Amino acid sequence: MATFLVILHGLLAVALLGSITHQAVAVTWPSKSKVGFSNAYRAVSSRVYVNANIVLFIVVAALGGWIYPIYRVWVRTYLENARLFSAVGSFEIKEQFISIGLGMLPFYWLVWRRPEPAGQSARTAVTLMFCFIVWFGFLVGHILNNVRGLFGL
Amino acid sequence: MNNIEKTFPVFSAAFALIYIVSVELNWALFTYHPKIKQFGWLVEPSRDGPPMYWYGWLLTSTLGATAVSVIAWPLLRNRPTQYWLGWTVPLVVMVSVFYFFRDFFLR
Repeated sequence: MATFLVILHGLLAVALLGSITHQAVAVTWPSKSKVGFSNAYRAVSSRVYVNANIVLFIVVAALGGWIYPIYRVWVRTYLENARLFSAVGSFEIKEQFISIGLGMLPFYWLVWRRPEPAGQSARTAVTLMFCFIVWFGFLVGHILNNVRGLFGL
Repeated sequence: MNNIEKTFPVFSAAFALIYIVSVELNWALFTYHPKIKQFGWLVEPSRDGPPMYWYGWLLTSTLGATAVSVIAWPLLRNRPTQYWLGWTVPLVVMVSVFYFFRDFFLR
């Protein structure tokens, strides 16, 4: 069951990663032309990703919270015994970033719900912050999931 | 925009601030003991295996940020939405997380 949940957590994180990255690129580097892959990628409407990103972020965080006890009891103990403190610290940072992201979700929804000129910089900033949080969480989770192979343990 | 929405930047900022203080001072409203699958009120030492405070910190921050937002609500009624507050404070808190957890990388 835990393995299934970890895989589901990872798969949904990939969906969130794609969605938030697409939105971040479109908001920071927009294009009006849809000619070619690069332009077409940047020319999407950023707003259409908002609800999907919010739902995915909550679901991925909830799944992570559900399987977190397994990490805390078994995996973290293993990492500490292997003296992989940077891996433990990376997960700690990921945990705090996800929490801060959860608290920012209503604000993220607000800045995209009604794109007023006054909220333009906030819209860009909060989207980039979410993009960073998701990428950081994904990479740390992915590395920790494969830590034994990566560190030859 | 209705008035409740004006509190969202305040909630975002208050949540991040209260969360990082909760982590540093361990203000968890409850503790989970994953090995024996038991809950306890406030911060408890280990019963068996490592205790988990993360869920408790989230609850502390949610309730705290909600309280701050409710208090700020009447003050924001006739003011423009403070968009800057909703991302600058969480950004500073995120940067501070690297500082607070630096010991893991300096061992």
